[in-house]
Amino acid sequence: MTWETVIGLEIHVQLSTKSKLFSGGSTGFGAEPNTHVDLIDMGLPGVLPVANRDAFHKAIRFGLATNAEINQTSSFDRKNYFYPDLPKGYQITQMAMPIVGKGTIKIETEDGEKIINITRAHLEEDAGKSIHDLFEGETGVDLNRAGTPLLEIVSEPEISNAKEAVAYFKAIRQIVTFLDICDGNMAQGSMRCDVNVSVRKEGDTELGTRAEIKNINSFKFIEKAINHEIARQIKVIEAGNSVVQETRLYDSVKNETRSMRSKEEANDYRYFPCPDLLPVVISDDELNEIKSNLPELPEQKIKRYVTQINLDESEARIIAASKTMANIFEEACEKTNDSKLVAKWLVGDVSALLNKDNIDIEESKLSSSNFAKLIERITDNTISGKIAKSVLEEIWSSGDDVDAIIESKGLVQIQDETILVKIAQSIIDNNPNQVAAYKGGKDKLFGFFVGQVMKETQGKANPKSVNEILKKLLS
Amino acid sequence: MDKKTVSTISYLSRLKLDEDNQDKITSDLENIIKFVDQLNDTDVNDIEPLTSPLEKVAKTRADAVTAENRKEEFLERAPKSNEDYFLVPRVVE
Amino acid sequence: MSIRYKTIKELSEMLKNNDISHPELIQETFSLIEENKNLNSFVTLNKENAILKAENINKESPSILNGIPIAQKDLFCTKDLRTTCGSNMLSSFIPPYSATVIENLEKAGCISVGKTNMDEFAMGSSNETSYFGNVLNPWGHNLVPGGSSGGSAAAVAAGIVPAATGTDTGGSIRQPASLCGISGLKPTYGRISRWGMIAFASSLDQAGPMARTAEDCAIMLNHMCSHDPKDTTSLDENIPDFTSTINDSIKGTKIGIVKEFDLSKLDNDVVKVFEESIKQYESMGAEFVEVSLPNISLSVPTYYVVAPAECSSNLSRFDGVKFGKRSELASNLEELYIHTRSEGFGDEVKRRILIGSYVLSAGFYDAYYKKAQQVRRLIKNDFDSAFKKVDVIMSPTTRGAAFEAGSKGSDPIQMYLEDLFTIPANLAGLPALSIPNGMIESKPIGLQLIGNYLDEQKILQVAHNFQKLSDWHLKTPSEDIS
Repeated sequence: MTWETVIGLEIHVQLSTKSKLFSGGSTGFGAEPNTHVDLIDMGLPGVLPVANRDAFHKAIRFGLATNAEINQTSSFDRKNYFYPDLPKGYQITQMAMPIVGKGTIKIETEDGEKIINITRAHLEEDAGKSIHDLFEGETGVDLNRAGTPLLEIVSEPEISNAKEAVAYFKAIRQIVTFLDICDGNMAQGSMRCDVNVSVRKEGDTELGTRAEIKNINSFKFIEKAINHEIARQIKVIEAGNSVVQETRLYDSVKNETRSMRSKEEANDYRYFPCPDLLPVVISDDELNEIKSNLPELPEQKIKRYVTQINLDESEARIIAASKTMANIFEEACEKTNDSKLVAKWLVGDVSALLNKDNIDIEESKLSSSNFAKLIERITDNTISGKIAKSVLEEIWSSGDDVDAIIESKGLVQIQDETILVKIAQSIIDNNPNQVAAYKGGKDKLFGFFVGQVMKETQGKANPKSVNEILKKLLS
Repeated sequence: MDKKTVSTISYLSRLKLDEDNQDKITSDLENIIKFVDQLNDTDVNDIEPLTSPLEKVAKTRADAVTAENRKEEFLERAPKSNEDYFLVPRVVE
Repeated sequence: MSIRYKTIKELSEMLKNNDISHPELIQETFSLIEENKNLNSFVTLNKENAILKAENINKESPSILNGIPIAQKDLFCTKDLRTTCGSNMLSSFIPPYSATVIENLEKAGCISVGKTNMDEFAMGSSNETSYFGNVLNPWGHNLVPGGSSGGSAAAVAAGIVPAATGTDTGGSIRQPASLCGISGLKPTYGRISRWGMIAFASSLDQAGPMARTAEDCAIMLNHMCSHDPKDTTSLDENIPDFTSTINDSIKGTKIGIVKEFDLSKLDNDVVKVFEESIKQYESMGAEFVEVSLPNISLSVPTYYVVAPAECSSNLSRFDGVKFGKRSELASNLEELYIHTRSEGFGDEVKRRILIGSYVLSAGFYDAYYKKAQQVRRLIKNDFDSAFKKVDVIMSPTTRGAAFEAGSKGSDPIQMYLEDLFTIPANLAGLPALSIPNGMIESKPIGLQLIGNYLDEQKILQVAHNFQKLSDWHLKTPSEDIS
C-alpha cells in the first residue's frame, strides 16, 4: 500500500515595523518583560486600536513579490478565545477581507521546480508570551510581544513531503528577508510555522483527516515533525482507527507530536467585523509607490550581478542566496570597487568557514563593515592575500575589528623596498649553492628564495615586490 | 435553546450559571431568541450589512514608537504578579 | 444664595459676579451630595482633588465651564480615581489614564466631583443592575431613575450638580433624562471620542451631556466634542459652536411624526402630553409631517442582536489576569476564568454575553448577526429618506413615566421594550435628545427629538425654543419626597 501525504503550511511572519500593529508600543526583541507594553497592548478597559500603515505596506510588498492579488480595501475581524497572553480575549485579524489574496511561489524540489499556490496572506496581531517553566505552579505572562504585527501566509495543501515543506519555508524566508519586511531570525521567533498534515492512499481523491502541528520555528524540526506525524497517522489508520482532527505540539526532545488541548471542541472563534476599526484603503498612488520601491529579490540580484558585475552565475547564486550575504557583498563592492575580489572571498574563504562550522552567515561574527574593511586592506596593500586569510580566521573566532587584529599581531605587509632588498640580498648571500644552481637553470629554485624571504619576514613581505626584487637580484 | 447549547455558549463565554439560576436564565435566553427571531422574516435582499454608522475609511498611524515603559503601573494593578510578570495558575498545554 | 438646581449658565454668572467663590461652590456641592446620599447616585467621590482644583483655579479663565462641578458617569476612565462601571468586576479598578472626554471637560475648567452610579456595564434601563445598589429617582424614591445613566440623571434632577456626563447605547442618556425630568443629548456617532469610555457596544456607544436645559447641553457639547486620533471612529468633521443657532426661530421647521410608532398603543396620559407639545410647536410656526420608517419596528430585536454580540466580545478582557477582580477559587486557568467572570458579572450582563456568543456562533452568524446588521442598514436608509422631507423627527422619549423599582424584574424583554423609541437613533448613528415636556401623576416625562447626521444644532434649536415657551424643565422634585 502506498501512501500520499498532503501538507499545507501557515507561516506567521513577524513584520519588522518599529511599532506594533495597533499601538505605539515597541516591537524590539529581548527587552525586559512587560516593558514594551502600551495601554492598548494591555487591553485595558476603554482603549482603542489604531492601525499601523507601514504594516500594510510591508504586507503589500509580499503580495507583489508573489504575484498576488492586492486587496486595496481590506478590513479587520475579531477572533474570540481565552488565553492568558491574549489580553483582550480576542485577536484582531483579517478574516473576510485580507490585504493579500491568491499568489504563487516557486520552490526547488528533487524533481525540479514546483509552483506552490498561496491562498492568502493577512495581517493580524501577535499574542504575548506565556512562560510556563519559571515559576512553581504558575505561568508568567509577558505582554511585550502582544500586538506585534504578523503576516500570516497560508499555502494551498499542495506540498507533498517534508523536504518540500522545508523548501517552501526557506523560499518564504528568502522572500521576506529580501523584501526587508522580516529579519528572518528563526531563533528569536520572527517566523513560526503551523503545519497541516494528512495522509491518504495513493490514488484517493478525498483528503484524509488532517492534524495541525503548531508553532515550529526551525527547518530541522519541521522536517522531523512532519515525518513523525506521517508515520503516526499511517500507523493509526493501519490499526483500523481514524485520525482525529486536532492540534498537536512537536516535542523536539522526544521527537514526537502530542495532542495539545483536551477541550478542542470549544474552538468556535465567533469571527465578526471589528467595530473599532474601519476598512483600510490603499490608494493607487500608494500602491504604485510601493511597487517602484520594491527591494530586489534574489533572481533580480543574480541577473544584475551577472550582467553588470560580470560574476559567474554560480558565484552570483551563492551570494544572492541570503539577504545578509548579498548585503555584505554589496557593501564591500561599494567600498573597494573590486567586486570580483569580494566575490572570490565570499564564495571561497567565507563560504568554506560557514560550511565548516555549519552555520548561516547571520550567526557568524563577520560583520558587513568588517568584511568590507578586510578586502580594503588587501586592495590598499596593507596586507597580502595570504595574511588576509589568517586575519579572516581571527575575525571569525573573535569578531574583532580588522585593523585592531592587524595591529596587535603586527601583520602589516612589508612594502619598504630597502628592507626587502636588504633581506633578499642577505638570503642570496647566505645561499650561494642555490644561487649557482638557479643561475645554472634550475628555475624552480626561485620558489626557494621567495619562500626564504617570506620566512624571514614571517609572511609579511609583499609577494609581488619580493618577486620583482628577487628577479632583479638574481639576474 | 436546549441545555447543551446553553452549556456550550456558557463555556465559550467562560461563565457558569448557578444551579438555581440556570433554568431561569435558560428560559430568558429562549425568550430573547424568540423575540429576535422576528428578524428572520425580513427580506433584506442581500443588502450590505452595516458594521459602523460611519461610512468612512480608516485613519491609520505612522510607524513610530510612542509608548513609554509603564511596567510598574501595569503590574501593580494585576490581581497577581511579581516584579516582572503577570501570574496565573500554571497552564498545561 | 443656594446653588441647588442652578444651571451652568447661572453658576457661571454667580462665580463671575463673586456671589460665590470657587471653593465655596465645590464645598456646597459636596454638602448637597452628602444630604442626598440616600439617592445612591455616586459610587466614588473626588472631594480632596475637587477642592484642591477649586482653590487653585485660574479665576480669569473665560470658559463658561470654569469651576463648574460636573458628575462623571462611572463608565469613563478617570486617572487614579476608581472606575467601576457599576460592576463587582471593576470594584477596585484604578485606571492609569483618563478618557478624552474627561480631559476635554477638565481642560475647559470643569471640576469632576465624583463618579456616578449606573447599570452594570451600561446594560439596563432602570439602574437596578448596579453592583453598588439601585439609584433612587428624586421624584419618588420608590421609582427608578432610568438607566443606564441613572446616577447622572438623579444627580442633575436633584439639583446636586448642574450637569453630568452620560453614555447612550440604546437610550441610556435620553431615557433616564425623560424619567428624571432633565435634558440629555446623544450626539451623532463619532462626535465624541470613545477613548477611555469603557466599551459596551462599540458601534452604538456615544457619550453625551445631561443637564437642566438644552442650552446647557449645548455648552457641554462644545467642550466634549473633539477629533481624537486615538479613536479612529471619531469624526474629523468641523465642530460648530452648538449654542450659536439655538435662539433662531423655528418657524417653518418641518417636524416628522413617525407613522409606525403607533402612539395609539400608549397610555392616554402619555398621548395627551405629546399632543400638547405638538400644539405648542405649531404655535411656534413649526409644521408637522407624517414620515414612514417601515423597518422601525425591527429596531429593538436588531439592537438585541448587535449590542450583545459586540458586548460579548468587548467584555472578554475581564478575565482576572491583568486587572480587575480575580476569584479566590482559581486553582487552575479554567477556574480562574469561569469563577472570576461568574462572580464578577451580574445576571443581566451574563444574559447579554450569552446572547452575544450565541448570535455570533458558527451556524448562527448569518441568521442573526449578519441579518441584524442588514436590517440595521434598512433602518438607516429609512431615516435618510425621512430626512429628505423633514428637519427633525419627534416622538415621546419613553412609553411612560418612571415605573416602580422591581416592577419589571422577571421579564427582560419588558425592560428591553422601554427603549423602543430611543434605540433607532443609535442604530443609525443619528443625534437625538430628550427634554421634559409634561408630568403624569406628578412624575416627569420627556419629548425626544432626532436630527439628521451632524445636525445637533437643529435639535438643540428646536428644544431650546420649546424651553423658552414652557417651564417643564424648571420644575423640581418636592423637598418632602421620601
